[in-house]
Amino acid sequence: MSDIALLGRRAVREIWRFPEATIPALFIPLFFLAVNVGQISKTFPSSTPFLEGQGYVAFQLPVSLMLAVSTATSGLALVTEIDNGYFDKLLVAPIRRSSIIFGRFVADFVRGIGASALVLAAGFAFGVHVEAGVIGAILLIVLSALWGTAYAGFAMLVALHTRNVQATNTSFLIFFPLLFLTPNIVPFDRLTPVMEALARANPVSYVIEGIRSLVIQGWDPDKLGACLLVTVLTGLLLTWLSVRAIKNYDR
Amino acid sequence: MRGIDLSLRQGEVFGFLGPNGAGKTTTVRMLCTLLPPTAGSARVAGIDVVADDAEVRRRIGVALQEIGLDPTQSGRELLELQCGLYGITGSDAQARATELLELLGLTDAADRRTKTYSGGMKRRLDLASALVHKPEVLFLDEPTTGLDPASRVTVWEEVRRINATGTTIFLTTQYLEEADALCGRLAIIDAGEIVAAGTPEQLKAEIGNDVVSVVLDGADPDSVSKAIGELPGLERVAAEPDVIHLYLDDGAGSIAEIVRRLDGGAVKVGAISVARPSLDDVFLEATGRRLEGADGDGEEEAGE
Repeated sequence: MSDIALLGRRAVREIWRFPEATIPALFIPLFFLAVNVGQISKTFPSSTPFLEGQGYVAFQLPVSLMLAVSTATSGLALVTEIDNGYFDKLLVAPIRRSSIIFGRFVADFVRGIGASALVLAAGFAFGVHVEAGVIGAILLIVLSALWGTAYAGFAMLVALHTRNVQATNTSFLIFFPLLFLTPNIVPFDRLTPVMEALARANPVSYVIEGIRSLVIQGWDPDKLGACLLVTVLTGLLLTWLSVRAIKNYDR
Repeated sequence: MRGIDLSLRQGEVFGFLGPNGAGKTTTVRMLCTLLPPTAGSARVAGIDVVADDAEVRRRIGVALQEIGLDPTQSGRELLELQCGLYGITGSDAQARATELLELLGLTDAADRRTKTYSGGMKRRLDLASALVHKPEVLFLDEPTTGLDPASRVTVWEEVRRINATGTTIFLTTQYLEEADALCGRLAIIDAGEIVAAGTPEQLKAEIGNDVVSVVLDGADPDSVSKAIGELPGLERVAAEPDVIHLYLDDGAGSIAEIVRRLDGGAVKVGAISVARPSLDDVFLEATGRRLEGADGDGEEEAGE
């Protein structure tokens, strides 16, 4: 079994054994979904053009999905191991250092699948239906989990550079401006010019738009392509930086 | 580090003795490929630690001062994972983990998560995880620091048993008793420099045969030294705030003369004792001060 598979299996096991790391991260997106929908759904009834007949919850669902999967959990696990000495144990094993990062990604993907499935189930309970059908719903879950995996590199990067639990924990906060400088409440064309320019420059907007297209419009190759491209590029960049950081750790 | 030169013999237990901050852990981290040396070179099991660090890691086992365990795994899971990282998989990994758990007395706790282990158990499991691949060289960085005396003796027994299988052991410690009990040869490091090296017997013999310690008990050290004066066979005198140590050829035979001279000088002192020189005396001779923690008092983190 490869080192990545071994370390990935261990990291996945942590999800079940350490639910305190996952459950709070699930509560927040579900809370946001309920509050946002409760406050805004009357402003945007299902007759609103951009909702295409669905309730406002369908428009908000991708935002909650992003919030559910974009966590600092792996970074926190990594910095905790740096702190307790187990990280050194892994570094002196005859494995590629990058496999420590990739092993964490395995857990991020599994956690992302579970979290996005749960948020989607909550969406169904609020009356959402996925316009792209069952395959679209599965793709929605996979895309969300992929984004969560891609973004996980950021907290690991912070963990490796700062070696500080608090700094790694607060690194999660940077996702809030990224999440809210997007068409998260209304579409691009309803934003003020400045906010639209900022949202269009923000890569997270295209991930939200891609996932939202599956829920509201059905299959939109352009939006899905942009979503996938942004996810892959973000993943490649953060993974490259994290791998470089772990290779140069103490060197 | 200020430039150290060390050479270990295959199959020996080599002690690296020094106070906190002397450079022991830095040396171990360089030899284990965790920290690159900024100058000089080092070979472990014949392999250069910089040029072929991956091969060095395959040949060494490491138990660092900070016990490296994953608290979310059981002891058995941790060892099986460790086996996997060294290419031992499937039933071989299960068998090796079971064997090591048995050997280190952890079978009963094998399926409990390591966060429930006591300090002694964690140290033994850490040691086991360093042994899964039967390393040629084992680095033990202060393996008994923080352990209670009983757990310390257990670790000592393990070190002897591992060494008996042919594994070369590089052991750092701040405990003189530990170095004396386990090491065939040792080096004393202080402030990044090696200040003495050899077998414990050689090092002790170099500073004299006997040590007579005179507890001052409030007496003036100068008055004591003046009263005792020049004794036959006196090699040197070392003074501490409350004790004066006389290094003599024949300590027992000199006691009566020392007492007579102190009486003659009307100097009252506390106890007078004779002992063979210890590694602490070697450290005192080399550095001018005692080794902190030389008594080896430790504390247990949790009861077993």
